[in-house]
Amino acid sequence: MSLPGFDYRAPVTIEEAVALRLELGADALIMAGGLAVVVLLRERLARPAVVVSLSDIPELQAVAVNGGLRIGATATHAALARSKTARSIAPLLCEACGHVGSPAIRNMGTLGGSVCHGDGASDPAPALLALDAEAIIAGPRGERRLPLVKFFLGALTTALNGDEILVALHVPRPAAGTQFRFIKYTATSAEAFSTVTVAVSITRDGAGVCSNARIGLGSVAPTPLRARAAEDLLRGNKLTREIIAAAAAAAAACTNPSSSAQGSAEYRRDMTEVWVRRLLAEMPA
Amino acid sequence: MPHLSLTVNGDKHELEVPANRTLFALIREDLGLVGTKDACRQGVCGSCTVLVDGVPMRSCLALAVRCQGTHITTVEGLKADGKLSRLQQEFINAGAVQCGYCTPGMLIMATALLAENPRPTETQVREALIGNLCRCTGYVRVVRAVMAAAS
Ligand SMILES: Cc1cc2nc3c(=O)[nH]c(=O)nc-3n(C[C@H](O)[C@H](O)[C@H](O)COP(=O)(O)OP(=O)(O)OC[C@H]3O[C@@H](n4cnc5c(N)ncnc54)[C@H](O)[C@@H]3O)c2cc1C
Repeated sequence: MSLPGFDYRAPVTIEEAVALRLELGADALIMAGGLAVVVLLRERLARPAVVVSLSDIPELQAVAVNGGLRIGATATHAALARSKTARSIAPLLCEACGHVGSPAIRNMGTLGGSVCHGDGASDPAPALLALDAEAIIAGPRGERRLPLVKFFLGALTTALNGDEILVALHVPRPAAGTQFRFIKYTATSAEAFSTVTVAVSITRDGAGVCSNARIGLGSVAPTPLRARAAEDLLRGNKLTREIIAAAAAAAAACTNPSSSAQGSAEYRRDMTEVWVRRLLAEMPA
Repeated sequence: MPHLSLTVNGDKHELEVPANRTLFALIREDLGLVGTKDACRQGVCGSCTVLVDGVPMRSCLALAVRCQGTHITTVEGLKADGKLSRLQQEFINAGAVQCGYCTPGMLIMATALLAENPRPTETQVREALIGNLCRCTGYVRVVRAVMAAAS
């Protein structure tokens, strides 16, 4: 089926994009990589008068170190998977981006698109949550920053207002010695969305006591998730077998999965426990 | 209607293209290059894959207007001087084609892989082709053909 008719605008600066967004209001649909947008158009799930493409805004593609890491919203998964700059601060995110879909999907899809789509099955989102990332949002009243945990409100629903665009994601520089682990666990081929995606970030002091823990989960709830209860169990403790088992069980209890071809709800919850446990257990002391 | 100028398989085109035209429709319907196939129209199957400035993309999910000034390569563009590319010839030698519907996408993906990595391992070949589905399940010979083209 062909796509319904719409006009096309491709601003070349962020200011222009924000102005267009304000001017067009609900008539506009923002497009980054277009992977979700073109399907929404084809299925008539969105009927915008105008598609506003962000692809011609070079500033939005930049990946730069500024204390932490600033990632332009339209940096592609492929660019991030091979970016030395991104890897210098957020190797966990690079690994997650390298597991999105297949090579051609990574060439087209953007990190900002993945976040703004608000899909609970995003692979990069759990990594961003484990890295304590912030969304940098531009709107008619200027820029605001929002911790990513507060960005995901529900299935395909985010905290982005109708007159705003996501311009970048900011990842703070992790404390020295922080360890990371990532798994995209798929029951079928690696190309499909995951059964569960787990991203872990752990900081321990010289005595092996965990001073900070963040666990991001994907595909096990309507939104990407932080397993707060599991993190609380880890913080202040050594990663003993017992603590790890308790944290893994707590992470599974945080989930609210649904059943799909990638696994039943029950299997997803079980695999969350298994993979949180394995990732924590394999971290060298 | 937006004006689009782009190069397809070395030929320059100047076209008036509606904003809602996909790159896939432009290639097949406006330019008549029917080697590029579609099946799922959701980016999953890989049969519509073409090179945009050398980079594999799903033409079913790309708006044509976004391809302003780019160089597109479709399966028809893999020949050089009227001769099949080494990779194409190896597909024939290996019998890597059954119904042939997925073949253009496989050839495009593997061409991009070999351009970037002329000596891939078998695992790298399989990873590169993970998003190209063959419903005749002929993957073994496809991988063999790509490995032969790389040798
Ligand atoms: C075949 C296929 C397989 C996939 N497999 C995976 C997978 O394994 N793992 C995974 O995590 N993902 C996967 N995806 C999802 C894909 O990675 C995301 O859908 C994609 O990254 C969306 O990004 P995009 O740049 O194409 O966004 P678009 O489709 O352009 O936009 C998505 C949504 O976000 C909005 N938007 C985009 N950018 C902005 C912005 N800067 N500001 C405001 N709003 C914005 C759009 O309006 C739209 O609502 C797959 C997709 C396909 C088609």
